[in-house]
Amino acid sequence: MSEAAAADVRGRAERLARWTSAYRPQRGVPDELMDADGRTKGAWPRFLDQLGGMDEVEIGARFVSAVRRIRDTGISYRIYGDKREHAWPLGSLPLVLEQGDWETLSAGIVERAELMETILADLYGAGRLVAEGLLPGAVVAGSPEFMRPLVGVTPPGGRFLKLYAADVTRGPDGRWRVLADRTQSPSGPGYALENRLVLTRAFPDLHADLQVERLAAFFQAFRDGLAVGAQRSDPRICLLTSGVFSSTYVEQAALARYLGLLLVEGDDLVMQDGALHIRTVSGLKRADVLWRRIDSDYIDPLELNPASRLGVPGLVEALRNGNLVVGNMPGSGILEAGALAAYLPGIARRFLGRDLRLAGPKTWWCGDPEALAEIRDSLDGLSLRPVATPPKGAVRDAILAPHALDAERDRLRAALRDRPFDYVAQEAMPLATMPAWDRTGGTLRLVPRPFVLRVFAAATPDGWRVMPGGFCRISERPDVEPLEMRAGIKSADVWILSRDPVEAVSLIQTGPARVRRIAGHLPSRAADNLFWFGRYVERAEAVIRLVVAHLGSVGSAVMADMAGDAKAPTALRIRALLDEWGAIEAPDLPTAALAQQALGGPDAYGSALRHSLSARINAATLRERLSGEAWRALADLKEVLEIDPGQALPEAQLLSLAERALSHIAALSGLAQENMNRTAGWHFVDLGRRIERAINTLTFATRFAGDGASAADLGVMLSLCDSHVSFGARYLQGVALDPVRDMVLLDPFNPRSVAFQLEAVTRHLGQLPVLRADGLPEPHQRVAAKLSAEFAIGEAAEFDGAALTRLENEVEGLADAIATRYFPNGPHALRPEKLVGLA
Amino acid sequence: MIYTLRHLTTYRYARPVRFARCALRLHPCDGEGQTVLESGLTISPDPRTRIVRRDYFGLDATVVTIDTPHTELRVEALSRVRVERDPLPAPESGRPWEQVRDEAVNGRGLGPHLPVHFQFPSLRVPLAPEVTDYARASFPPGRSAYGGAFDLMKRIRSDFRFDSKATTVHTPLAEAFALRAGVCQDFTHIMIAALRGLGVPAAYVSGYLRTIPPAGRPRLRGADASHAWVSVWCGESWIGLDPTNGIGMCDDHIVVARGRDYTDVSPIDGMVSASGPQKLKVEVDVVPDGEPMPEHAATPQTASA
Repeated sequence: MSEAAAADVRGRAERLARWTSAYRPQRGVPDELMDADGRTKGAWPRFLDQLGGMDEVEIGARFVSAVRRIRDTGISYRIYGDKREHAWPLGSLPLVLEQGDWETLSAGIVERAELMETILADLYGAGRLVAEGLLPGAVVAGSPEFMRPLVGVTPPGGRFLKLYAADVTRGPDGRWRVLADRTQSPSGPGYALENRLVLTRAFPDLHADLQVERLAAFFQAFRDGLAVGAQRSDPRICLLTSGVFSSTYVEQAALARYLGLLLVEGDDLVMQDGALHIRTVSGLKRADVLWRRIDSDYIDPLELNPASRLGVPGLVEALRNGNLVVGNMPGSGILEAGALAAYLPGIARRFLGRDLRLAGPKTWWCGDPEALAEIRDSLDGLSLRPVATPPKGAVRDAILAPHALDAERDRLRAALRDRPFDYVAQEAMPLATMPAWDRTGGTLRLVPRPFVLRVFAAATPDGWRVMPGGFCRISERPDVEPLEMRAGIKSADVWILSRDPVEAVSLIQTGPARVRRIAGHLPSRAADNLFWFGRYVERAEAVIRLVVAHLGSVGSAVMADMAGDAKAPTALRIRALLDEWGAIEAPDLPTAALAQQALGGPDAYGSALRHSLSARINAATLRERLSGEAWRALADLKEVLEIDPGQALPEAQLLSLAERALSHIAALSGLAQENMNRTAGWHFVDLGRRIERAINTLTFATRFAGDGASAADLGVMLSLCDSHVSFGARYLQGVALDPVRDMVLLDPFNPRSVAFQLEAVTRHLGQLPVLRADGLPEPHQRVAAKLSAEFAIGEAAEFDGAALTRLENEVEGLADAIATRYFPNGPHALRPEKLVGLA
Repeated sequence: MIYTLRHLTTYRYARPVRFARCALRLHPCDGEGQTVLESGLTISPDPRTRIVRRDYFGLDATVVTIDTPHTELRVEALSRVRVERDPLPAPESGRPWEQVRDEAVNGRGLGPHLPVHFQFPSLRVPLAPEVTDYARASFPPGRSAYGGAFDLMKRIRSDFRFDSKATTVHTPLAEAFALRAGVCQDFTHIMIAALRGLGVPAAYVSGYLRTIPPAGRPRLRGADASHAWVSVWCGESWIGLDPTNGIGMCDDHIVVARGRDYTDVSPIDGMVSASGPQKLKVEVDVVPDGEPMPEHAATPQTASA
């Protein structure tokens, strides 16, 4: 052995000792890394040995790069009702499991998934379980997840569940135990995927050397499973999201993108002639499969929960007609009701003829007098909780009994007296622990932390298939009470170390695949968001250019007649326009303060920052359509404009910030030009920018190229249109009204002129889908063609102040006409309204 | 008693509605001491599709879709119905409420007719400790379910103030309870929550109530209203109790539908694609045989009694 190799081995051994020497599993709590005698076990020695090949600095650097990727690509989760996004807290080490251990767990998961499917088919079908007394009727009738309109409806393809998940932990005997079943619409597969992408990026060698099982084949099979039961051979599969404010929206967008599904909201869908349709820019198109990520009762405000604004009125009718596949079927959430767990062992024996391989905690439904008698006197060691989450507005009684105070205990006894059937008692099951990094005291070491593992199983054309991995959540605190994991939670990847080399599979089809050049139809709402994304970016640019013009005119000697004079008429006009646009809160601020506010004012609704945030919100609803680079450019733009309002910056620095912001906007435009497919989506982004630029340029012209415009005004006009250089090259004698008007309004070769924008708009509209079959132009196309022609044949002298004002209004009218044609149901237009009042 | 019923609902929209989908439950049902003799439904504009859907509890709803752009939606239901009911049971008769509760919750089976469906919170009837506590005074241990429920109804009648301005169709139950005021819908939901809080099965009944015009005045056209009351499971049968008027269901009550709460039975439930405000006008006539149809129009109602 060479000296260097020997030193390496020594370093590795020292590091491992340093990380694990203080590691002590809690007494009586099963731990993944160590047994009670302090011996490492399972897959961990192999994993740690490999990891120990790197020192702390390198590991740290790799994590930093992984975390940066998270920030850049915007993997994040949203706390409900919170507009800010939070980067998903990545746990450091993956949970590593040996293949044999995993196979046992998977077999148990498949068995459970099959049983869940059987139970659902019975509850919404023959009803034998209740009739035979294996399940009390009250457990079903009392569940808000029992969707009565779905009774008797057989799902097309025969399956209620497309995706099943279970939260598991390891019991004291080393066997896996189920804490909860997830049948409503399990979240987390997307995070599992993203965690994997991040970790393989940080530790590619480790991942390959340890032969970690890959995830792609599972997702492929899941997608195939979604299509089972669809009436058409090439079904249109949609992911129904509750929208951008859902806590798992980003996950949904990522999954839609990865699986090639159409991301839709309720407003995108409409029932017509008994079938579900998507509103697209090409008219209504059939939807065949819906992967729902909203709760069952929100899916149809007419037959289920009338308070829902997320679903589609009449959707249940399509299920009844058998022409729509919904995964999971509405009503599947009833299996998450706590009381069912009390009867699961009996049901398993009835259907399987034996006990479940994966047991859950012992559970009592307090509505059963015998069960109640058994637990009433001693609630110690039991957790007592409501059978089902009560509907909104009802009082929640979620109490954990083990440490309940006497007063709480009395309250619970009273609740048990009035309505015992609303409660289940469950034996408390402590969570097992796994190693996590800890940096207290400045040294990096491993400590045991409680975790919950969510395992997913998909119903595929070849039966149930378990994702070889999962979504693991680790608590940052050591206490192992079976708390619901919310605050202070990190997530971790799950690595199954295979005995054999693993094959790389990605979502690339094997065998003959159909070649297609046009992606599916663009939903109207997505078109609306793309359009507004373009408009907001352009609006931000217009504000920034005004600021640059103001700083330039005041601070430099370019325009000698107004140098240094913030009160010159031209400067005042700039201020007035910024004020009119809401970019500043007061028009008489000092120049630097005014520029700072217009650029980064968090409270001025028309500041460049606010426009860039609006663009971001529109972009967020389109995440599945936007490239990572575009998202990053948008993040950079926001970062530049987020100026600390408490810190007054000098003019020079503001000018440089403004110029940087302009270059990020230019990058965004470049990305759109170079990286976006020329599908309908691209047309709408560019339409938005062109329309907005035409309007803004006309607005500028009414202020700075009006009938009595001064030389200084015209100079600003040219700089707002970025046309100084071309103008100087063309006209050597200096600025004059008609040449300036011609250049910024009519010149078809100037990419900043109004004529150029309108020509582009007309071209875009000609390439978008048409509704009429007779070849005649649609109303919005007429408006565009007429306006475009007026600019194409006009002469500079005709475009006086009055004409400019009229044209500004007409281009606004064109924007409205486009919205009316393509976004009849977008967020900026009509919404379905509930009939109100007692009829 | 035979009644002729007319229920006219008119929605007016500020801007044209392009598409509407509605479920209508506007006709009396057979059973519960009633026989429907005739019924008709007129809708304008003409629906594109019209089907009758029977729900889990056996209640029929007419589901229509309208795709003619319109600024006014007009739904008129006409019916004739014979009502002959048994008198109410003797006061304080029937099984103790605890027994009624336990038998319902532990009964075998899950048929739609079983009272177990009416023992749990529902969308418009969440349970609240203060409402349950209010009910307790009427239900000492061992009292009959019917006796307790009748007493509770009387208390609501005297403790609560009828005030059509106090609440709207969307007012949550807890708010109406705190105000001690509201209309029939509020009183009905409150009484249901109070009963269910103790585990006694209770249902929401929608229908009509015959009104008597003031002495010497003619019956005015459209002056009646849709009405709501409670149906309580008393161990052997459902018994109707009207907390708004403090009386048991009698031949003056005409049942349209019974469900867990307003959501299950709302006379018109629908979604329209609209962008402007909407106005609602409701006219109801409940005319006993032998009386002429009223001719002079009353001030139209915008909320029911």
